[in-house]
Order: sequence, then structure tokens, then C-alpha cells
Amino acid sequence: MFILQLIVAGLAVGSVYAIIALGIVLIYKCSGVVNFAQGGYAMLGAFFTYALTTAGLPSAAALVVSLLLMGVVGALTQTLILRPMLKAPVVAVMMATLGILIIFRAICLLIWGPDQIGFPKLFPDGSIEVGGIFMTYNYVAAFLLSAVLCGAFLAFYRYTPLGLMQRCTADNTRAALAVGIHVSNQVTIAWTASAMLAGLGGSLLASLNGLSLGLSNIGLVAFPVIVLGGMTSLPGAVVAGLILGVLQAVTDGLLTPAIERVLRDYTEIYSVGALQQVIPYALLVVVLLVRPQGIFGSKESERV
Amino acid sequence: MLEVRGLSVRYDSVIAALEGIDFAASEGRIVALLGPNGAGKSTLLKAVAGMLPFEQGEISAGRVEFGGVSLKGKHPAAITRAGIALVQDGRQCFRNLTVGENLRAASFRHAEGSAERLELVLSYFPILGEFYERPAGFLSGGQLQMLVIGMALMLQPRLLLLDEPSLGLSPVMVQSVFAIVERLHEELGMSVIVAEQTVPRLMEIADDVYVLSRGQVALHAPPQAISEDDLQRLYLS
Repeated sequence: MFILQLIVAGLAVGSVYAIIALGIVLIYKCSGVVNFAQGGYAMLGAFFTYALTTAGLPSAAALVVSLLLMGVVGALTQTLILRPMLKAPVVAVMMATLGILIIFRAICLLIWGPDQIGFPKLFPDGSIEVGGIFMTYNYVAAFLLSAVLCGAFLAFYRYTPLGLMQRCTADNTRAALAVGIHVSNQVTIAWTASAMLAGLGGSLLASLNGLSLGLSNIGLVAFPVIVLGGMTSLPGAVVAGLILGVLQAVTDGLLTPAIERVLRDYTEIYSVGALQQVIPYALLVVVLLVRPQGIFGSKESERV
Repeated sequence: MLEVRGLSVRYDSVIAALEGIDFAASEGRIVALLGPNGAGKSTLLKAVAGMLPFEQGEISAGRVEFGGVSLKGKHPAAITRAGIALVQDGRQCFRNLTVGENLRAASFRHAEGSAERLELVLSYFPILGEFYERPAGFLSGGQLQMLVIGMALMLQPRLLLLDEPSLGLSPVMVQSVFAIVERLHEELGMSVIVAEQTVPRLMEIADDVYVLSRGQVALHAPPQAISEDDLQRLYLS
């Protein structure tokens, strides 16, 4: 029963990873740029939600306004910083995203300071019990919200005209231009959506674990997720996010205590630290060695 | 209809691809744009379609007008809306999307009447109907060429630009492609500019021929006035 409890908690955190990773994949597909600032957008979104809630807005309204603000931030950073770099090498653009991350951290440090902040309650206290498994409303809401949003996003991408334009831009920019699609506008839309996804993910994560500048490190966890999912696969990012969340929860709840028990019996080492934080990167190395294209990715092939 | 005067194009601000080109295509005509590799045929078509800025290219001098309106500095989307469709070399389409999605994507800019146009495209290219739900990446070279021409037709162009449509195709397929070009011209009254290295079949259907060499117009004449020897001399020079 305990392991089921861990899996359910892992799925909740993993679904948040998934929506943050979705944003990275979206931008990568559209522009070939790996956005190192995604964690920064998540952190900024969480701080916006915090600021709006402490200013007196109800939590649901604060979350919605925060997402809208993040959309504006995403569109502005793409338009003002990245669009002028249209002809720059992709590596230079990726370095610019690293710069954006540092700027976001500096701004948040200046305004809210370096300490951990108690994040306001987005969801009511209490928990539900299903078949002997207890879940706080926080976890249930984070999971449901992320799951619904992931589903809605994937459906939007697959079935709407705008989603089709996004997929066209991701597939072949030369062909997209030739059929009259404004590629740079599509990239702006991708950055806007990505920043909003990150803002929601950051706010949900802060509601589970509290808020500090360290939240921006979530961007680093998202990279193993997208590599595991297969850099360009949106469903892959979702599945990989869930896998990673569960792995972390199981490592924290079962594996770490078991290893520590063995170590205590035979050595003088009492703790292995936060082993669950190492898991994503260990998984990243294994995936890159065994299946570099990820679970859902496919090797590039073309009929000639 | 299309008028190009004194057009010069540079890539990366230094490499001169076209030098003072004069070119014109009248309403309802098929114009052959011939020349060896690197003569500037694709560059001329890209300059007309507004694609140069996306390939580090720029118009350094001259003017390009379509129906009396300047196309210089316009985005490809605006040029498409004005009635020009470019079928690029390399059969550029969305290979991870289905054939149907490719055709739908090409109708975004002209949603009105897109159902009728789709019917028309599928009547010209029945094979696209058969493979409608299959990813475009699975099509053969000839089928892909039909798809990209079909996509261009979905844009409802008055002027169709075809960049080396026969490249890499079997002789039979080349005949089919040019038969389609002839039908588009005769049945829809569409103006067409076809850039090719050398295709005898193109000389049979063209109303006007331009031969480019090293970024300049080396010869402009009706096809009847151009001999095989003329072409060989220009290509070898």
C-alpha cells in the first residue's frame, strides 16, 4: 500500500514536470532552440502568483492573472531579445536563454529576497482517501489541473488550425513560409504558451514544496524529462514527466531508506543525501547511452 | 503581370547571385527559366516570392512588381495573398504531417472556397486522395512533387513559380508533371514560370524562354527561336 501511496504522489509531481517540459519541447520543435530559461519562467510565474495572492486576490484569480502575465513575459522576451537574433547561430540563442534565466533570478532576488517563502494556499486543506491511499487536496488538484491542461494542450496542438500551423512551423519552416505562415509569429506563440505552461507548473510546484529562487532549478529536471520523452515528442514529455515523478517518489520513500539501512549496518555512513535529486540525471545518462532518441522519439529517416 | 527590372541580389551582403536582371511574365503565359546550376534561377524565384531574407539574401538593387504593386520587402505571406505561389526545389512540404494536413495547411490564407479547391486538387492528383491520411514522408519523389504542386494550388495563385520540378524524377514522371503544368495553364488560365536546367518537354509548352548565366540574362527569346546549339553554347560558356 505504501508503494501505491508513493506512486500516486509521484504522479502528481510528475504531471507538473510534464507541463514544464511540454513548454521546452514546444519551443524546441518550433525553433530548434533549447530554452534554458524554462525554470526561470516557472519561478517567475510562482512569484507572480504569490505577489497577487498576498495583494488580496483570491487564489484562483491570482493563478489566472499570473498565467496571463507570464504569457506577456514570454511574448516580450521572444520579441525583444530572441527575434532580433533570427540570423544568429542556435547556440548563441541558447546562451541568450541562459542569460534570461540569470536576469529572472536577479529580479526575483531583488524583489523577494533569497529566503524560502511560505506559498499561499491555492487549494483547501484536507485530504481524500481512495482504497486506503491518502492524498492531500493540494496533490489531487495539482495532478488534475496538470492532467487536464496537458490533455487540452495536446488536443489543441493536434486538432485546431493554430495547432496545425504550429506543427507546420515545427516540421519545415521553408515550407511554412511558402504557404503563407508567419513563422516568427508562430515562434512567438510557442514562447507565449511555453511561458504560461511554465508559470502554471511553477505555481503548482510552489504550492507543494514552497517557494524560493531554487524553484528555477526545475528547468534542469525538465531536461532529463524531454530527453527521456524524445526531444520533439509532446506526448513523450508527458509520459516521461510522470515516470520521473514516480521514480523520484519511490527513490525518496523506499530506495533511500533501504540503502541507508544497509550502509548503517556495514559502514559508518548514515545518509546518502537527497538521492531522488540524482535520479533524473542518472536516468538521463542511461537513456542517452541506450536509446538516445528517447522513448517516443524516432531516428531521423527520410525516403529519397 | 510580373515585372522585374534591374534586379541584383546578394547573399551574406557579398556574394552576388543576380546582377541587374530584367525579366517579365505576362498574364496566362508559361515562361521557361533555363540555365545551368548556380545561374541564379532559384534566386530569382525566391526574390519574387519574398523568401530571400530567410536565406541570408537581400535585394541590393532593382524592383519587382506584380500587377503594378511592388513586392520588395514584403513577407512571403503577403506575396502569397497577392496571388503568387512558389513550389520550391527539394519538394518542400511537411513530411511528418499527413497529406490531408499538408493541403489544409496550404489553405489557411485563403479559407474561402478551400473545399472546392481541395476537390480540384484531388481531381488533378487522385493519388493524393488515396494517401490522404498517410504521412507525406512516405510518398515517392513523384508523389511528393504532386503534393507540393497541389499545396500551391490550394493557395489559389494567379502566378505559379516552379523551381526545378523535374529534378530527381523518372522520365515518365517528368512527362506527367509537365502535362499537369500544361493543363493548369489551359484549364485554369494560370500563369506559370518554370525554372529548369534543361528539359526538351518544357520548350514544347513554354511561350517565352529566358536563359540565365552567371546571374545575368544571357538570352531571351521565344522557344522556336532557340536551338539546341544555342543552349549548349550558353551552358558551356
